[in-house]
Amino acid sequence: MNRIIVPGEVIAEKEIRMPYTYTEGGKTYSTVLGIYEAEHSSIIPLEGLWSPNRDDDVVGIVEEDKGSVYIVDLNSPYTGVIISKFSQTELAPGDVIYAKVKEFDEKKEVILMHPRKLYGGKIINVKPSKVPRIIGNKNTMLNELIQGSKSNIIVGMNGMLWVKGGDVALATEAILKIQEEAHTQGLTDRIKKMFEKTGV
Amino acid sequence: MFKLEGNKPQLIIDGKRTDGRGFDELRPIKIEANILKNANGSAYIEWGNNKILAAVYGPKEALPKHTADPTMAIIKSRYTMAPFSSLEEHGRSGPNRRATEISKVTSEVFENIIMREMFPGTEIDIFIEVLQSDGGTRAAGITVASVALAAAGIPMYDLPYAVSAGKIGDQMVLDLNKIEDNYSDADIPMAISPRNGDILLLQMDGSITKEDFSTAYSMVKKAGATISKIQKDALKAPYEKIIEKYR
Repeated sequence: MNRIIVPGEVIAEKEIRMPYTYTEGGKTYSTVLGIYEAEHSSIIPLEGLWSPNRDDDVVGIVEEDKGSVYIVDLNSPYTGVIISKFSQTELAPGDVIYAKVKEFDEKKEVILMHPRKLYGGKIINVKPSKVPRIIGNKNTMLNELIQGSKSNIIVGMNGMLWVKGGDVALATEAILKIQEEAHTQGLTDRIKKMFEKTGV
Repeated sequence: MFKLEGNKPQLIIDGKRTDGRGFDELRPIKIEANILKNANGSAYIEWGNNKILAAVYGPKEALPKHTADPTMAIIKSRYTMAPFSSLEEHGRSGPNRRATEISKVTSEVFENIIMREMFPGTEIDIFIEVLQSDGGTRAAGITVASVALAAAGIPMYDLPYAVSAGKIGDQMVLDLNKIEDNYSDADIPMAISPRNGDILLLQMDGSITKEDFSTAYSMVKKAGATISKIQKDALKAPYEKIIEKYR
């Protein structure tokens, strides 16, 4: 039975180690507003920030060229850094890039690697907590989006999405619908129906 | 509505307060979460005649840079009253001594409840805007700000609430309104962490005895169950509405 939980709510009467919880006095408490899935005994946060992990794919905008490094806006409290000598492509402020997280250091800087320049297209910002739902289980939702709208879609774990070609407006509408209804059941089917109805 | 007794209005008539409440009765509370699109989290509260809006931004890069703490997030609260908010002299708009003080104590409440060490070098902004005031706005402000923080997805140890207790004559009362606040013998706003009953904010003007304080604390804790439930329901409502739609 899934239920919505709030910070400070008791998850279990014993101490369990689980993301988005803390233990105190033999009890486990939630720290976020989220959905508790009892069968998997896991918490899916409904809101929240992206916490960088190694090998996360991100979309960002180059903010500044400092000579030895490029500063990248990742739409999060942390700034992205690309070390120029490891970048094959020449970058300039304003460029949209797609890169991988190499390292998240103690200075809370996100070191990026393998940047790829993205030309044209449109950027959509979504809540980072909804990105896993946009990708879906084994990419099902993302494949549905790409097939339905015939667009190229690149998803950054930081909540920035890049869309180009096909029906961009329809893709945007679908992405925003997923963001809104991420916590409901049967969403993939509804998105499928939505594309069948409008059809590209 | 109330009789004057010398310079003081008579605040308790036939065992009822000026607005017909019992001694340990709260004013009606209504909270709505997620009402501002631009903010990371927001909430609106109607607590009796108090109408307060709270918005949360962040965590974001702490600016100016010298305020940043490399080990944890800093909390910046800003309590303000709208120019049209007040009844007579109670609180004025703009930055003043009172607003600065309330902003400070509000920051301190949330410094103890937000998991700040998860976001080093950042700041979290809490804005509390009083649109209409009728006593107890700092308590209502903290109550609504904690809903806004949870709605912003900021990890917290608990969902704190605040309410004031006071003393009228020999009687301890809960949740003072403006008239009671002005003429009561004591006014004690308290913020509580409902998980274990920790006191996060405790201020007082007037004087009370030790026994009075125990009464006040138990009154606040009892009322807290009601307030906590309203806070939780407000947080869940927007999501439950969408779940309900596709059931």
